[in-house]
Amino acid sequence: MFELRAIEKRFDAVVALNGAHLQVAPGEIRALLGSNGSGKSTMIKVLAGLVNPNGGQVLVDGNPVEIHNGQDSRKLGIATAFQDLSLIPTMSVRDNILLGNEPCNKFGVVDKKACDALIDSLLKRFHIDCDPNAYVQTLMPSVQTMLEVAKAVSLKPRLLLLDEVTASLHYDEIEVLFSVMRELKEEGVAMLYVTHRMNEVFQVCDTTTIMRSGETVTEGKMSDFTLDDIVYYMTGQRPDKASKAAEHVADENGEVLLNVKDLAVYPKVRDLNLRACKGEIVGIGGLQGQGQSEFIRALLGAEPIQDGVIEYDGKQVHFKSPTQAVNAGMGFISGERNREAMFPVRTVEENILAGKVAKGKLFAYMTPKSNHAFANSAVEKYNIKIGALDHPANSLSGGNQQKLVVARWIAMQPKLLLLDDPTKGVDIHSRQEIHRILRQCADEGMTIIISSSESEELLDVSDRIYVFYEGCVSAVLEGANKTPELLVAAMMGMTGSEVTAEGGKAE
Amino acid sequence: MKTNVATGNMSAGQRVKSFIQKSPARMAFIIACILYIATIAISPSSLNASAIGSIIMLTLLLSFASAGQTIVLIGGGMDFGVGAVMSSAAILTTTIMNSQDGHFLQLLVTALAMGALVGMINGLCTVKIGLPPLIVTMAIANVVTRMQYVLTQGSPMGYASPTFIKSVTARLFGLQFLPSIVLYAIIIIPLVYFLLNRSRFGKQVYLVGNNPVAARLNGVNVAKIQVLTYVFSGMFAAFAGMLGAAYMNAARCQIFDEYAYNSLIAVIIGGTLFSGGVGSYTGSIAGSLVLVVLSNLLTAVGFTQPQRNVAMGLIMVALLILYNREKNVRQ
Amino acid sequence: MTNVKSAMTRFRRSPAFVGFILFLVALVLNALLQGPASFFTVKTINTLFAKNVPFILVTIAQSILLLAGTMDVSCGVQVALVNVVIIMCGQELGLPFFVCCLLGIAAAVIASLVCWVCCSVFRLPALLASYALTYAIKGVNVLIMSVPQGKVAKVYYKAYDSQILGFIPVSALALVLVLLIWLYVKRTRFGSHIYAVGANPRNAFAAGISPVKVQLKAFLLKGVIVGIAGICITLMIASGNPLQAEDYGLRSLSACIIGGLGFGGWGSVSCAVFGSGFYVFIQNSVYYFFSLLVKMIPGFSVTSYWQNFVSDIIIFLGLLMTIVTAKGQREALKQGIVSQFRLNGKPAAAGKEGDGDEN
Repeated sequence: MFELRAIEKRFDAVVALNGAHLQVAPGEIRALLGSNGSGKSTMIKVLAGLVNPNGGQVLVDGNPVEIHNGQDSRKLGIATAFQDLSLIPTMSVRDNILLGNEPCNKFGVVDKKACDALIDSLLKRFHIDCDPNAYVQTLMPSVQTMLEVAKAVSLKPRLLLLDEVTASLHYDEIEVLFSVMRELKEEGVAMLYVTHRMNEVFQVCDTTTIMRSGETVTEGKMSDFTLDDIVYYMTGQRPDKASKAAEHVADENGEVLLNVKDLAVYPKVRDLNLRACKGEIVGIGGLQGQGQSEFIRALLGAEPIQDGVIEYDGKQVHFKSPTQAVNAGMGFISGERNREAMFPVRTVEENILAGKVAKGKLFAYMTPKSNHAFANSAVEKYNIKIGALDHPANSLSGGNQQKLVVARWIAMQPKLLLLDDPTKGVDIHSRQEIHRILRQCADEGMTIIISSSESEELLDVSDRIYVFYEGCVSAVLEGANKTPELLVAAMMGMTGSEVTAEGGKAE
Repeated sequence: MKTNVATGNMSAGQRVKSFIQKSPARMAFIIACILYIATIAISPSSLNASAIGSIIMLTLLLSFASAGQTIVLIGGGMDFGVGAVMSSAAILTTTIMNSQDGHFLQLLVTALAMGALVGMINGLCTVKIGLPPLIVTMAIANVVTRMQYVLTQGSPMGYASPTFIKSVTARLFGLQFLPSIVLYAIIIIPLVYFLLNRSRFGKQVYLVGNNPVAARLNGVNVAKIQVLTYVFSGMFAAFAGMLGAAYMNAARCQIFDEYAYNSLIAVIIGGTLFSGGVGSYTGSIAGSLVLVVLSNLLTAVGFTQPQRNVAMGLIMVALLILYNREKNVRQ
Repeated sequence: MTNVKSAMTRFRRSPAFVGFILFLVALVLNALLQGPASFFTVKTINTLFAKNVPFILVTIAQSILLLAGTMDVSCGVQVALVNVVIIMCGQELGLPFFVCCLLGIAAAVIASLVCWVCCSVFRLPALLASYALTYAIKGVNVLIMSVPQGKVAKVYYKAYDSQILGFIPVSALALVLVLLIWLYVKRTRFGSHIYAVGANPRNAFAAGISPVKVQLKAFLLKGVIVGIAGICITLMIASGNPLQAEDYGLRSLSACIIGGLGFGGWGSVSCAVFGSGFYVFIQNSVYYFFSLLVKMIPGFSVTSYWQNFVSDIIIFLGLLMTIVTAKGQREALKQGIVSQFRLNGKPAAAGKEGDGDEN
């Protein structure tokens, strides 16, 4: 029996966990659910020894324990498969599986031969087809994820933590994973399963714990919950069907601003076709890592294109760098705020100005007064809550940071605005506000391409949805076709005919 | 980075640390004052106008050399070629001037071109190869230094011209504490201030230094900006080398090599982060002052050269601990 | 046969390959310029080892730190520290030579520990922190020994300069000893932990490895190797000099990079051997090249400045060569992924289309 009690964790000013609790028994698969930023991953990391909680208790079989590092965690029989993987890319598959657990002979030399059989059977069990000597960095992302899980399972844990591991898996791999999970359940292993995919939860999980903004809101048997209940507990609101009424219909006669033909960005994107008209919001859907972000970056010139043609604004273009794309009137907003959008230690003003700073003469004088005015108007117009313009940007909350990034580009009035999962980890209120801003801009004639991992967001905001699967468009949804069911089916790589086929089998 | 949520229950050490991190430039000035007072306490004779004049002189010289270093460091790089470029510029100065007036423009153009060229090579190699800047700039600095020996056969000729020497070392208005190098400062300091704080270039340098990935996706030409920071560094170093030659009168090979390290320390004392994105030129000037005053103090205490080395090394480590620590893997 | 072939392919793709080629080229160049007849003599090879083993050892020590994701540019002054400790202990305290050597190694280990505290415990940028320590240690060296002085008993330095069985240089034994230590260490748990910590400390931590402890062991090992290098240099110059070998620190760093070592968990110690070998042979080659010019062109004379200049330029070009290595490795990696992508992607897609038709 593993239990977390009243766990608290602050990262500087941000409260990640606020008295959250959780327990999981042997032979139980417990789903840990919650929207982005609700503290699921932090809980997992507390158990894995990566996060040092500010308060609370961890109990194993009723005894309080301290987990200071990964080794403590392993000793307690906890193994973790991380969302962002914990493999060492420059080491071989074998070394990665054995890492931290190497068998030694009496001279202290690692006996690699001794575990070859073990590794072989492990790879077979997970249907991983790779050379144990291959470097992990040369493997496909989905294979790496399977390896991450296999590595955790190889430790023969009492508690297995799976943090959003299915995000980049194909459906056949997910089946393999589930069958292994069921076997482990028979063996009496406790499992914590974090995911965003609700159908999986109902498929394999026995119980659930639902979190919202760092607190545990409810827990119980899976069979006691419906999908609507779960969404309610996760968001605090009943799913609102009425808002769907405001349907935007794509303007068929619109002037084409962007036309992509047979685009290939190896290894992620191939034979991709896409069209976007003026004043249109084009959505890009799909599971994580199906080539969405590579596609958007290729448009921006941040990834080299291997094949295909991009026509933009009536001309064939081939941007070599984002600088050229930005000068041609594109803008880019990334949801990977910390890595790709924010300048955390620079001031709010500088962050808003970043778009303006990127364009224009290098040694031109920038008057402080006009900078202030520009930043102030953006803050007011987009309702960003800040302390002062000269506070560092990391003093803002996540939602406001993202609004700031959006404001940075909207204020520049680009012809084509590219957004890559812009509302990742953003609270519902800021999210709606961002959607409102986008719609308003589209109405004024801006073309917007938005990629998102969340179906509701895409259905809400976009006129037309291209669904990506393994680097190709698996479906284009518009008008009456824009339904959650079709979207999800296409995301799983099932084309129209297969959906019916699968349905037939199930019945 | 820390917000002041927990200001109430900070220990004294943390409070000092947060003050230093918030306004390193002011802190550096305070340290400099304390060190100066200590110097006077130890040897009262060091309180005189001409000593103050020489402190100003050396501080400004070092601050000119660190101007470029500041820009490079903020942009996320590091230039260890400052010393080699300064020495080369000093040799150029004495060779071209050869104790005669009237060659200033010719010298200025040659020296700046030389600095820009070395900076350009530094920048291109660092940015394009992607090796740590220290290694690349050091390798290039080596080549530049060897070139000094090859071209001068190890013993550079000539002296700086009398007028030029006067324009650097003479005391203004007969005031002993006011060397005329201040006149150059009136040009250089506003120039750097404009570059870093008022031009689009400066804004881009800060963005690139803070988060190069985001800057690139934002449309900033990261490679170009970084190369330009090295070019500016080379030019500022060359200019500092010229003034240095006037101050020293004659030049020899490797005369200013220690400025590579000193400029780096000065900039870091001034609060510029080693990881880039944060820093100011005011801080670097303050940092230069701290170094010069500290060196005076160590002399006053009667430290020998090896003792000074030990002291400098330990002080540097202490400063790094104060505000250049990296994040822990465990949060 | 196939084993040899696949081993060759693996070597061609390994990080050390370009370093090996550079090493080979420099070796051949050196042999040709010096004249094979005079190069391949016991005496020449003995001198080659005797003179350069300290530098090669320091480079190996440096490469271990680089693999563990840290570095120490004060290696060079630590060698000098070992040297002055050995000489002064013998001269002032009258201790026997072997005890002095042990004390020397202890001094290097202590210096390494100080560096470890700065880099790993305080998490300072390793480059800057160890550069600052260079100054401090250099100061300590001069405080221990103000001017070059002292001597080593003839037995010892003669022994260092001699050959076993008439052709194996004793100095080479130090190198072999260190390489054997590394071969053993590499096969222990610690060996694979070094790579993990260097490549990604956070993931290593998640796997139950303590990056601080692994780096501690790496620094200890480095201290011992630097100590051995210090003993070698003491035997080589047979006296003490507090201000020697300072440039070993940075030179070893660039030698590692020329040899193909990446920062953190990429490469192997053989990169260090090839890189430092390249350094040594290039400097020799340039020397012999100029003496050849002097012989061939009557009246031609240059100062030693030219030699330094040319060899520094070649070393700089060697650094530039790493672009080629990095690019080649990136390409190979990409090719690998693309081919997998085609294998996994295309047939599956084709299969799906087929299914669709049937329905």
